[in-house]
Parts: sequence; C-alpha cells; structure tokens
Amino acid sequence: MRVNIKISLAILMLWSALQGVAFATTEIRLLYIGSEDDTAYMGARQGLSEANLQGQFLDQKYVVDVRAPGVLPAEAFSGVAAILATVNADLLPALAASATGVPVFNLQAQEDSLRTACIANVLHVIPSEAMLQDAVAQWQKANPGAQVTASAWHGDFMKYAGRDLNKRFRAASGQAMNDASWAGWAAVKMTSDTVARLNDASPAAVLKFLRQQLKFDGQKGAEMSFRDSGQLRQPLLLIEKGKIAGEAPVRGVADADDLDSLGNSDCSGQK
Amino acid sequence: MTRNLIYGLALMALPALSQATGTGRIFVTNEGSDSVSVINGKTLEVEQTLTIGKRPRGIGLSPDGRELYVAASEDNAIVVVDPGSLKVLRTFPAGSDPETFAVHPNGHIYISNEDDAKATVFDPANGNQIAEIPVGLEPEGVAISPDGSRVIVTSESTNMLHVIRVPEHDIVANILVGARPRAAVFTRDGTIAYATSEISGEVKKVDMRANKIIAVEKIADEKAKPKDVMLSADEKTLYVAGGRSDAVIVLDAATLKIKATIPVGKRVWGLARSRDGSRIFSTDGASNSVSAIDTGRNEVIKTIPVGELPWGIVIDD
Repeated sequence: MRVNIKISLAILMLWSALQGVAFATTEIRLLYIGSEDDTAYMGARQGLSEANLQGQFLDQKYVVDVRAPGVLPAEAFSGVAAILATVNADLLPALAASATGVPVFNLQAQEDSLRTACIANVLHVIPSEAMLQDAVAQWQKANPGAQVTASAWHGDFMKYAGRDLNKRFRAASGQAMNDASWAGWAAVKMTSDTVARLNDASPAAVLKFLRQQLKFDGQKGAEMSFRDSGQLRQPLLLIEKGKIAGEAPVRGVADADDLDSLGNSDCSGQK
Repeated sequence: MTRNLIYGLALMALPALSQATGTGRIFVTNEGSDSVSVINGKTLEVEQTLTIGKRPRGIGLSPDGRELYVAASEDNAIVVVDPGSLKVLRTFPAGSDPETFAVHPNGHIYISNEDDAKATVFDPANGNQIAEIPVGLEPEGVAISPDGSRVIVTSESTNMLHVIRVPEHDIVANILVGARPRAAVFTRDGTIAYATSEISGEVKKVDMRANKIIAVEKIADEKAKPKDVMLSADEKTLYVAGGRSDAVIVLDAATLKIKATIPVGKRVWGLARSRDGSRIFSTDGASNSVSAIDTGRNEVIKTIPVGELPWGIVIDD
C-alpha cells in the first residue's frame, strides 16, 4: 500500500515535470526588412496569424519585428529564425552576406542575376523574370496571339485552396492578395511548417530543411520546393485583361507537374 | 442474473441492428450541379436526382440507416433526407461552410467547418449544437473510431491530424503529417488509423494508442493527389482515391506497399465500400461519373453517369 502511494506520487511528479517542459511556449522571432506599408508585409502578417494558430497546438509563438531596408549590424540578427526581405536587387546580396547562415526570403526582387548567383542563404519566393517569361511563352505557344502576363498569385484565384487563402486574407486585410502578399504569406508559412517539423528554430537547421527537405503547400495545387539556385518551384497564373486565363506549366506545351519547365537556371553567375 | 440475461439479449440484438438491410441505394453529392444522385444498388443506374441544397458535399447515414445527412455547404446547413421515400425530413444550420462530416455511433454529427478553423458537433434529432472544437486551418476530413471514443479532424492548411476525445471534446494529440491532409479512416478496433496527404502525395499509418506515425508511403505517381481512404472488409487492403492520377490505388494495409492501381474517371475524390466488401465506388469529379469496382478483380465493372463534380458517396446497405 505504502509502496503503491510512493510509486503513484513519483509518477505524478514525473508527469507534472514532463507537462512543465511540454507547455513551455517557445518564441520564434522573424525579422521583416522593408516597410509596414508593404503589401508583402500584409501577407507576412497573415502568415504570422496562421503560424500562431498552428503554434497553439505546439506551444510555439511567432513574432515579427520590422526594420527599414539597409545593411544591419550582426546583432540585429541575433535570435532570428528567418529574415523576410522586401528590398531591391542591389541590397539583397549585401543583406544576405551580413546575415550568414540565416535564411533570407526574397519577397520582391525578380532579377535572374540573383538566381544565377546562388547565394547560400537566399530563398527567392517571388518568381524570377525567366519564370514569368517562360510561363507567357508556354501560353502563347498554346494560344497564339494571346496577350497575357504571368503572376505568382491573383485575388480571384479559386482553384485548389486558392479560394480559402484569398477569403481569409481579404477578411483580415481588406485587400486582394497579390504576388507580394502571397510571397510574404508563403515565406512565414514555410518557416512555421519547417519549425513545427524540426521542433527547432535555429536558423541553420531551418535553412538546411528549407533547401533540402521542404514540401510546401502554397495553395496552388502543387508541392513546392527550392531549386539549388534558391528559387521556389511553383506554378504560375496567366492573366489576361485582369482575369485569370490559365496556369503554367501550360498543359499540352509542358508536363503540368514539371515546375522546372519555368525559368530554371544554373549557378553560372556564382562568384 | 436478470441483468446478464438482458445484457446478453442486447448483445445479440446489436449485430442485427448494425446489419439492418437498407434500401440498397447509393447516394452521391454533386457539388457542381447542386444535386444528389440516387443510384439503384442492384441495377447500378441512377433512379432519381434530388435537388435539396446548394453545393452539397459531405454525405452520411445515421447509425440505424433511417436518415441520410447531406452537408449543403453554401446553405451552411445539413439536410436530413429519408433514404426510403427520398423526402426532405428537415434542415438545420450547421455552422459556416460545413464540408465533410462523420456520424458518431451515438448519432451525433461531427462536422469540419472549413472557413472557421473549427469542428462542430450537432445532434441531428433537434439541430442543437453540442460542442465546438477549435482546430487548424481548413479543417477537412473527419473520422470516428468505431467505439466512439476518438475523432480525427484533419486540417489541410495546418498539416495536422487533431485527435479529439469523446465525450470531453478536447484535443488529446496533434499529429503533424504531410502537406494538405485530406481524409482518415480507423480500423474496427480503433488502434490504427490511415490518413492521406494530398500535396505531399502520401498515405500514413498511425498508431492511435501512441498517436504516432508508424508507416508512410509516398505514391510514386507525381499526379497522385491522395484524397479519400477506405479499408476493405477484412482490413487487409486499403483503397485510396488518387485525385489527378485518375485511379483508385490499392495498398497492403500492413505494409502500405501498392498492390494495384485501378484506372477510373478523372479527378477521383470520394470512396464508399459495400458492407460485404465486394464493391468499391469512386466519385470521379471531372468525369461527372461514379465508378463501380469489383474488389475481387480490382476492375471497374460499370461507369455510372451522375451530376456535375460528384464529391461524396455513401451506400445505404
């Protein structure tokens, strides 16, 4: 009897201790470089709210700090799991160099030269110029004479779970989601997905997982991952007179699942 | 003594109840044409088409088979239909955008409310909401253990299986799975669940006592976007709706290795199994048809034209 009580108490104490560990909330810090007025920032806020919804189940809490574009001192990156950058192509390499080992998501710059440079810690969520051009070329091959532009996202996109994401972004921000806000949302969401799976928010581990193991659902119906160049593989939308005309890879011209038919590049520009 | 006798009698009555022969009809929700197709189970022909609500998706039967429930997503309601007379008995509000649901052995309906990141529990007898459980984003699949003690709700944009305890209605585990988890199914003893992930193209086997994933199979066909999942009557075989692979994928339930691929119509989505296990039916969304599969030969024996974008399917047998 006495022994049983002792064992019960020990189990109870052990259980309480385990609960204590399990329920300690981990704070995960993200750094947004740009302006709070950016549409990409609105997207990042949406991603943050979704990351925190998941975080409730995992005892993780995400916060985002905002800094104006510029090269920041190393201490600015201390304790930061990932950086979200709405900066131009001139600044991005210098920013990445100052934050070695920390994932830097490019939410704005479309220049191909940034992809061929293959910067180890830069992850381009926004499509490159070459991807957009290939999407348009594929569409024109199937539909000669069509005047279309290519886009990462559109506020009217309904297919797959596009409807759901557009609906909740519009409800939260009062705006239609566009390429930049999609990129901001996606960057936060893939970071939280990674941290959840790793149960580790150290930038090195997050960067390695993002580059090598990511299977991201960007709500465009395809599994997304990063190319060696750091560019996110993703389907694109073709827009004609403000309306969605189709998706790329364009069926009949390319295999719909061959995301590398859109602007793939090598690391020839690597220094 | 008397109590034991009554208990014994009750036990004897149970199988009789659960095997009560229904109308034999197969009911299919057509998301695109706002209709429900009623298929004669013997002739495999559509005998009637019901217009009972907007964007019908989830569909299920009461434990006694006397009521058919249809989630009319755009009407934010559950429509209750008599599977015999095909008359609408009543309709009750079921939260925002009810999509998929499962019926508990006690008769309650567990619904995923896609727009609201929650699962809700309703008593279909009076339409009362019994519980509301916050879950992840875009809740989709709902599965209930045969003993009624556990409910799995999948959240497509949070990538989790939320394991809910009944009757407490609290979450006891959140199991991270591959991207866009869609559907889940329990074994009869409730110890194992199988779940599909649409975007990562995976089928997972979960130990429900430990709430741990014990096996994963990535479907090799890149076009496969696994959706509904169903066990064979002997629980040795698993059937998975392959989405854009236009096939029902047959896996060994023990090892998750693929045993066969059965070509069906386009964008195969929902699955139902006959009680005796001899037939599997799939809704082929982009072909506007239902495929009837002979499970002995793993072949389609009939393609049944239905409404537009067939989604859910249930058999009243």
